[in-house]
Amino acid sequence: MSFLNNIGAGWVDKGRTWRHYLAMLWSVACIAAQPRYWPRTTRNVFARQVLFTGVEAWKFIALIACMVGLSIVVQFQVWLTKFGQTQLLGPILVMAVVRELGPLLVNFIIIGRSGTAMAIEMGNMQIAGEVRALDAQGLDPFTYLVLPRVAGAAVSIFCLTIIFIVVAFFSGYLCGVLTGAQTGNPLRFLESIFGALQQADVLNVLIKTLVCGAMTGVICCAEGLSVSTASTEVPQAATRAVVRSTAALFVMSALVSLVTYF
Amino acid sequence: MITTSILRFENVSLTAQPPYALDVTEISLELNAGELGLALTGASTEGLPLADLASGLVAPNAGQVRFQDQDWQACHPDTAANARGRIGRIFEKRGWISNLDMDENITLAQRHHTTRPVAEIEAEALALAKQFGFEDLPRARPAVLRAGELRRSAWIRALVGSPMLALLEHPLRDLPAQAAAPLVAAVQAAAARGAAVLWIAESFQGLETCRTVFSKVWTLEGARLVAAKE
Repeated sequence: MSFLNNIGAGWVDKGRTWRHYLAMLWSVACIAAQPRYWPRTTRNVFARQVLFTGVEAWKFIALIACMVGLSIVVQFQVWLTKFGQTQLLGPILVMAVVRELGPLLVNFIIIGRSGTAMAIEMGNMQIAGEVRALDAQGLDPFTYLVLPRVAGAAVSIFCLTIIFIVVAFFSGYLCGVLTGAQTGNPLRFLESIFGALQQADVLNVLIKTLVCGAMTGVICCAEGLSVSTASTEVPQAATRAVVRSTAALFVMSALVSLVTYF
Repeated sequence: MITTSILRFENVSLTAQPPYALDVTEISLELNAGELGLALTGASTEGLPLADLASGLVAPNAGQVRFQDQDWQACHPDTAANARGRIGRIFEKRGWISNLDMDENITLAQRHHTTRPVAEIEAEALALAKQFGFEDLPRARPAVLRAGELRRSAWIRALVGSPMLALLEHPLRDLPAQAAAPLVAAVQAAAARGAAVLWIAESFQGLETCRTVFSKVWTLEGARLVAAKE
């Protein structure tokens, strides 16, 4: 009986944790829409977060997008040309790169690059008493620390995903031209992609970048702030942040795809 | 004459939980506008929750703490945060945001709570810095400053923006005894503007020549704060 109790208690704990993340996400969404929660100090933290998560990461994201372009886009071009199905190029690329790979890979990279940094920074601030010092000066840690980081992560992931998609298509097309694949002229290539884009794809990208990106920020901040007294808790919090952000990303991504396309 | 109550403890008790190390029992004290109070805690009293209770960061187990006649526990979190923006504080230890430069740290609360131009806030901070022996506003990261410089920087932060209440936890720690004079002058000026000041120190060391400045003095006996002068 106690074995079953333990299993049950574990699931109840997990449920509480995810409910806490969702409540934080909802709170961020609610206060982000109110200008009074964006004093200049919070705007400053937001700008720094976008700089760190978005601007400083774009070259790496572009490099990964190039590789994806080379390995996937060019293969689709070659194989569809062989089977005489070049009219499917646009829809397949949109399905693979725009709907799934772009948002997933960018989110995944940001979890590893910025999510861990966020969790570690929050954890260290907690240990050093900095969160308390902020609170004592009337700077609500949720408004000053969590809100700008979550919003910054969401905006950065959205922008980086757009960069990823553009670079992946461009590099794929260029590689196709260089390797002699029958890529057609650039205008036709673009037409086939834009022709395959639907409203649902735009919605899909928006949700998978903004909502999933915000969820990544929420989980990383929450795990960092959950550190209480010992510095040895910080790496554990960072690990939990990565694992849970990744889990949330894949689950949310799958759910969004299901809801959007079926 | 009408006296404006700034800070009032009404039979406040708190059983210490980390990060606090000391209980407090049935503390009652009041500081009105323009009053300077001194709480003498004696040696080895790290982790006393007095300043955190005064700024509403921790809820007492019993009693009430009122700031400007508002009970902290009855305040909406946004109201409480705004109220804390009117409190200047020197922390017992730490209290600096490590990824901000010192000038950003010093002006942080003012930049957050007010719409005053940054240049104006920095000019006020610079005037205080000069009063406290700095040539310029400290601009390095907190990690590279010496303990004494951090403590004097904390003086600037506590007094910039004309706070209604100044909570000074061990402001002379890490400093030579004769360093008190400019701070005492600054807190007297703040009191003259209508602020209340609660100075928390282990003893009169460093304050021998300015005992008369304090209109109220309490000493910590066990977990109780007993009035020595009221």
